[in-house]
Amino acid sequence: MAEPIVLLENLSYQYPGASAPALRDVNLRVERGEFVGIVGPTGAGKTTLCLALNGTVPQFYGGRFFGRALVAGLDTLEHPIHDLARHVGMVFQDPEAQLLTTSVENEVAFALENLCVPPEAIRARVARALAAVRLQGLEKKRPHELSGGQKQRLAIAAALALEPDLLVLDEPTTQLDPVGQEEVFATVARLNREQGVTVVMASHAVEYLAEHATRLVILDQGQVLQVGPPRDVLAQVEQLEALGLRVPQVTRFYHLMQARGERLPTLPVTQDEALAQYRGLRGRWRIRSDGAAVAASPPREGPPLIEVEDLRHVYPDGTEALRGVSLRVWPGEYVVIVGQNGAGKSTLAKHVVHLLEPTSGTVRVGGEDVRGLSTAALAQRVGFISQNPDNQIFTTRVEEEVAFALRARRVPEAEVQRRVAWALEEMGLAPYRDRHPLSLPKGDRARLVVAAVLAMGPDILIFDEPTTGQDPQGARRILDLSRRLQEQGKTVLVITHHLYLMPPYAERAVVMARGAILLDAPLRQAFHAVDVLRQSDLQPPQIVLFARALAAWEGVDLPILTEEELAARVEVTGEMEHGGV
Amino acid sequence: MVGFDPFGPGARDTFFRHLDFRSKVAILGVATFLAFLWDSPVTTGALAAVVVLLCLLAGLRKEYLLRMGLIMLPFFALVLLTHGFLNTYVGRTALWTAPADWPLVGGWLWLTREGLLYGLMVIFRTITLVLVIPLVVFTTELDELVVGLVRLRVPYKVAFVLASTLRFVPLLLGEVQSIMEAQRLRGLETSRMGLLQRARIYSRIAVPLILGALVRSQQIEVVLASRAFSGSAERTYLHTTRLRTADYLVLGATLAVAVAAVVGLALWGVGRFHGPL
Repeated sequence: MAEPIVLLENLSYQYPGASAPALRDVNLRVERGEFVGIVGPTGAGKTTLCLALNGTVPQFYGGRFFGRALVAGLDTLEHPIHDLARHVGMVFQDPEAQLLTTSVENEVAFALENLCVPPEAIRARVARALAAVRLQGLEKKRPHELSGGQKQRLAIAAALALEPDLLVLDEPTTQLDPVGQEEVFATVARLNREQGVTVVMASHAVEYLAEHATRLVILDQGQVLQVGPPRDVLAQVEQLEALGLRVPQVTRFYHLMQARGERLPTLPVTQDEALAQYRGLRGRWRIRSDGAAVAASPPREGPPLIEVEDLRHVYPDGTEALRGVSLRVWPGEYVVIVGQNGAGKSTLAKHVVHLLEPTSGTVRVGGEDVRGLSTAALAQRVGFISQNPDNQIFTTRVEEEVAFALRARRVPEAEVQRRVAWALEEMGLAPYRDRHPLSLPKGDRARLVVAAVLAMGPDILIFDEPTTGQDPQGARRILDLSRRLQEQGKTVLVITHHLYLMPPYAERAVVMARGAILLDAPLRQAFHAVDVLRQSDLQPPQIVLFARALAAWEGVDLPILTEEELAARVEVTGEMEHGGV
Repeated sequence: MVGFDPFGPGARDTFFRHLDFRSKVAILGVATFLAFLWDSPVTTGALAAVVVLLCLLAGLRKEYLLRMGLIMLPFFALVLLTHGFLNTYVGRTALWTAPADWPLVGGWLWLTREGLLYGLMVIFRTITLVLVIPLVVFTTELDELVVGLVRLRVPYKVAFVLASTLRFVPLLLGEVQSIMEAQRLRGLETSRMGLLQRARIYSRIAVPLILGALVRSQQIEVVLASRAFSGSAERTYLHTTRLRTADYLVLGATLAVAVAAVVGLALWGVGRFHGPL
């Protein structure tokens, strides 16, 4: 048998100062040409495992390391990281943090220069690497001017230029929009398929992994729970969901049917498989054509709470980020704003809190033009929760964090105490009131920021990309929270490109692209407006696409949003049709 | 990075960007040398004018120049007044004398012509020194800066650290901005606060800023190692710099100006405060 690219034997590792090991007794063998996906909840050890593959763990971090890690036949304890770099190309999560130079070609050349490759050879390898990720022609461009997806492809090219035996990617798409994600997966899958590059990738994007990976590793609390082909691993729907992980929506739909007593030989994990399996049932399942018609918009009474009229915004560099946007939001609504990066979603939201000045047009909150109000004054009515909680934490104690702004605004101390206690209780953070905010896990830090905002007593809450960088469970927790706040009478706006998460929460969707609103409709209608979504480089959730394919096949109307809704529309007739399909 | 680079994106193709780093360092060196060699307001004024002109030709944004000017204005006023009233070494041609019946200063506080001129010279010198550094640093891509410095025999590690620091500045400024935004979103209105309270609020920026910077620098270290960076000076360069005709012209011109200035000063006193100019 050929020598494996990766051989981990009883690998355990504990970061210095950590109370528990990050990896426990990991055994893994990766063969040449494989595409191994690593899946697990936040804190499962995915990043640590990736970092162990080029020696960063333990060489950079120190800590306690047991067992053995061989990569391309080299013991990662015996070879310095910059030597192992010849064999292992690394791509990290944050596209910004891995840019080291000021031109695309220098970025790719950097590692080669460090390895003393002669300039002529560098030129050839840079050209090859850029062609492999389809960035040729951009050699002289500044990396900072590239889109998120392009930046990650550049990072892949920088790794590929080393002609490594192994390409390791640690959640390379979590900070990208759907187009960026698509670009990165397409690139990696092609490199694996056509050039035989061995890939290890940690990711939450199960739909893509199901499509491209040859094997999946399920990691939890530092332990490998399962290793196998996607079809076998993802079929363990209950086990994965218990870990807070997702399975592809089509898999989940078939699993629901299985739970209804349907006997299925296998659970499909990709959309193609799912369709093939449906066709193979030859009419045993029938789609009921009744049920959820497109719901009419709820009646809106009284004056709108947020009123945006013909808003234009041009940034100082001349970019026209908003081109005449009009939007009205009524009290108690839950609105999701979707669109690709640069569509103008955040720019729009920032006008509502007067962080940006309209170039023309007006924004009114509660009937009052925001132009006459400061951001700080608006903060009493509009809570704006931006993406990175760590930029929004200013103190060293949880309780103080919530009280911070109130005290600065000279709210009477008794009132401060009352509001802090209430906000912490609401967010489930009361037990941690004396902790250091940064000692809390990321999801709790995000909730702490929400608590601090809630203490101001706003009746509008705007969440800007709350689910980016969260694992599925973390994302759902934040969204559950947003729904609870809506139920308490708050008006909620969520900006996101994670469409699949939104059906249980939002009622209304605003689709934006290139500074304009393309569609403002009930969620059900918007998620089935495939062409409109495509104009904003978005794709409806997999289950919507699957339902549309079924609807076309059966000639029925099937405006479902979730796996449950689809399963409810399927009737089992008990007999197979014979003859032509 | 919007708003930081004082040279707009349009400046990328000006002649100055195409000069070799060594030529720019020569300009920097000679300008600094002349600024200290001369103390005549005429020659230093001409020097400052040349540097401002070079900056504009290199694409420096006018808003940036104006903003710098506004920031420096109080300092300039102070320099002018101090020298005008108190510098009595360079000459005593009184333009104005405090009336004798003024308490304390009456009769002996003069505003002198020479003092004012000397103050003007100090202002010109400051303008030269303040503008010539961004002229060189911001018109050079950081990658070229590294290569250029290495060519000038600066150790690679030092050059790399310098370039990385410069890269960090706009990132940190962006971070500061987003943290201050977050504070406003929490309802903190610094414009309505007293100085002390405002200082307390601003000091809070340090918490997320320092932690963010630490996290980021650790990330960069990991990325560097994974790109085979060991800090060793033994490495190759995709682009090495080459002196072109324009560079030889600049190098020759700067050398000629420096020699001429020294000779002019020694023989005819050109550039001396009480000299012919």
